[in-house]
Amino acid sequence: MKSVVLLSDARHPVSGRAVLSRLEAQAIGLGTALGGTLTGLHAGDCEDGVQESLGHGLSALDILSLPPEADPVSALTDFLKAQKADLILAGRRGEGGFDSGLLPYALAEALGLPILADAVALTPGEATDTLVVDQALAKGARRRVTVRLPALVTVHPLAPAPLPFAFGAMRRGTIRRHVAEAADASTDPVEERPYRARPKLMRTSSATASAENLHVGPEPEEAARLILDYLESNGIRRYG
Amino acid sequence: MTPAAFLPWLVVAMVAVAAVQLGRRVALWRSGRPAKVDWVAGLKALPKRYLVDVHHVVDRDKSASRMHVPVAGGLVAASGLLVLGLIPALAASQLYWAVVTLAFLIMAAGVVLVGRRRYPRAMKRLSLGRWQRFPVYLGAFALGGILTSALAAFGNPVPAIAFLTFVVAAAGGLMLAYEVATGPMRHALAGATHLVAHPRAARFEGSRETGLRPIDLEGDKLGNETPQDFAWNRLLSFDACVQCGRCEAACPAFAAGQPLSPKHLIADLAAAQAGGHARPYAGMPYPNERPVAGSAGLHARIVSPEGMIHPDTLWSCTTCRACVEECPMMIEHVDAIVDMRRFQTLELGAIPLKAEEPLGHYRGCDEPNGRALSERTDFAAGLSLPRIAETGETDILLWLGQAAYDLRGQRTLRALIQTLNAAGVEFAVLGAEERDCGDLARRLGDEATFQRLARQNIATLSAYRFRRILTADPHALHVLRNEYPAFGGDFPVIHHTAFLSELIAEKRLSPASLAARAITYHDPCYLGRYNGETEAPRSLIDALGLERREMARSGKRSMCCGGGGGAPSTDIPGDTRIPDIRMSQARETGASVVAVACPQCTAMLEGVTGERPDVKDIAELVWEAVQAGSKATASTSAARELEPA
Repeated sequence: MKSVVLLSDARHPVSGRAVLSRLEAQAIGLGTALGGTLTGLHAGDCEDGVQESLGHGLSALDILSLPPEADPVSALTDFLKAQKADLILAGRRGEGGFDSGLLPYALAEALGLPILADAVALTPGEATDTLVVDQALAKGARRRVTVRLPALVTVHPLAPAPLPFAFGAMRRGTIRRHVAEAADASTDPVEERPYRARPKLMRTSSATASAENLHVGPEPEEAARLILDYLESNGIRRYG
Repeated sequence: MTPAAFLPWLVVAMVAVAAVQLGRRVALWRSGRPAKVDWVAGLKALPKRYLVDVHHVVDRDKSASRMHVPVAGGLVAASGLLVLGLIPALAASQLYWAVVTLAFLIMAAGVVLVGRRRYPRAMKRLSLGRWQRFPVYLGAFALGGILTSALAAFGNPVPAIAFLTFVVAAAGGLMLAYEVATGPMRHALAGATHLVAHPRAARFEGSRETGLRPIDLEGDKLGNETPQDFAWNRLLSFDACVQCGRCEAACPAFAAGQPLSPKHLIADLAAAQAGGHARPYAGMPYPNERPVAGSAGLHARIVSPEGMIHPDTLWSCTTCRACVEECPMMIEHVDAIVDMRRFQTLELGAIPLKAEEPLGHYRGCDEPNGRALSERTDFAAGLSLPRIAETGETDILLWLGQAAYDLRGQRTLRALIQTLNAAGVEFAVLGAEERDCGDLARRLGDEATFQRLARQNIATLSAYRFRRILTADPHALHVLRNEYPAFGGDFPVIHHTAFLSELIAEKRLSPASLAARAITYHDPCYLGRYNGETEAPRSLIDALGLERREMARSGKRSMCCGGGGGAPSTDIPGDTRIPDIRMSQARETGASVVAVACPQCTAMLEGVTGERPDVKDIAELVWEAVQAGSKATASTSAARELEPA
């Protein structure tokens, strides 16, 4: 079986340095346990960070050189079509680079592959060309799904811990650099804004609490005043 | 021809057998990596290294030096004299045989003392088996020698008996020579060669020479996997082991029931060269021994459940160097352990689970605790703490180290900073530019991370002008002082205890007396053993007027707190904890306070539960005394002002 792990431009949460995303390191662990050939694939210019993947169990890594702002989907699609990989693994979210977390979905659409999110375990299926995926759901629930390969699977943080890092293995790993066509930057320019604390609606569930706010057939003026009072008393809207 | 006339030929035969046996070992050593050895200087220095340096260590155990001097001296003297007996004129002289008898008598006296260490019951740390039979061979050679040569001195009255005694001497002597390959006698010949070709020759020239050596990160294989990966003189050094067990008795991990005995480890490494133990190892087993399959050989992996040494053994070491300090054969146990750890970490990534985390943080953000470098000085809010970037130069550069992130360590650093301000010292810190020194990464075998941090720190330090680096962390002190020079960073570094005692000697600080408190001082390994600094902290305690009580193990022979070498990260379970053992030793002195001089020791000793003495860094004691002193002067001057003119 031939698997490819997508490696993103991740940033360390403390230092902001380019590092390998932990999720992708876990994806390498899952892919290695599955057997077959496993290579890494990165589109961008973050070689420093992603080469760490070679120390976590990858033996080879393909890098499609792209400027950091470029949309990597078309370059990845072209490369993966040529590769004919059975399984494409990715993290479930971006970690600090120019990423929205939508790439696996965009890629699956472009390649015409099924996508399964939040895998915590992978085992080969009974029938050939199938894969049994354990998905992590909310509140610790698990769901076992069998997919026909080729498929794209994203990895959940509850997957087994990554293989330990070995400097010697990183040094010996192969990096293959490819020139890629940079597609036009995404048509939706991303706007960056500083984080602003937003009020949260407090959930009041008891019957008496809601009875207090139940007003049958109030005058429009009165209704407006009651709504504004309510919003103000819950800190949703502030005056002055 | 008298039976005594065969004695010189016996010695020749012994030398021949020993040479053949040693040759087998030499062939093994030669398969190790090449190493630079200054043979001429080593040979010249051998008598001094043996008679002074080795004897100095042997003599710490009087029962050992008292037996070793006559046995070794008598054996060498008798054998040397007997070789002269090949000259016919001498062999004919009765006086000559009387002198030979005397030499054998001296040896025999020593053999009696050897026997007393082993019979009826051997000292606990000694090995049994063939080591237990060793005095028998020595005794046979000595006794046979005495009788044969004495009979010759008296003109050989009963040749039949002389023949019998010669046979006894020959049996003992040839057994001794045969033992040279794998038995106890190996320590004599391999030991002498080891002293000549010692990998850290500067140890004998008064330098402490304790820094780990860098490895080439571009090399084919990083760290040591098989016996062949060791330098040849390291292989030789394992063969020098005499299995006296002093290292084992001093090892904190052994005492705590963790699966490490330095003696067993060295014996395993020596045996690994030739494919395993020729006879079963006869010392105490590793405590809570992990089973290993024991496959060995020059090309076999040593550290593995299939090999000679279990990985847990390797990761139990605190790198405290107590074994190296105690070793009469000058073996460098810690170097061997770190070299093997390097292979485990760099090539296999096979480190204990808990130790992966700090190494990962090191790679991500240069700090083993995963905190931001810019947070290092957060603890000093409200204190005057200038950054060196503001001026570009200062007199004293304060290296804060990891303690700045730890609540307990911060208390010590705050006391130190306040003391420096009180003494009017011109100092500054690197602030966010200070990366971790890399001590933990290096001890855990992650040489790649260490070398990166060392280079980056040296580049930062080189950009500024300062006279000295001051640090309250002996681990940082050791790394900056002894291990950065290999990467081009030669900076004068001083520990805070030495610096504070300088300030007091120069009268820049006037501490009040803190009398009426009994104190015991715990020497940090990286200050005492690694850097030989045991006096400054004690002189500080004395200057504060404290009653100083010494623990049984103190100074360079102090016992580790368990905090070094990444041992708290690898966390190999044992029967008890090392800091508990150390704290009970401190309790025995009856002191109310244990003075420490290292943030690791503080953390480990403060982690001991139950009734125990307080743990205080010397900086805290000094600051307390300085505060008391300034209050005293303030109150006397205030009183004077109040006096009517």
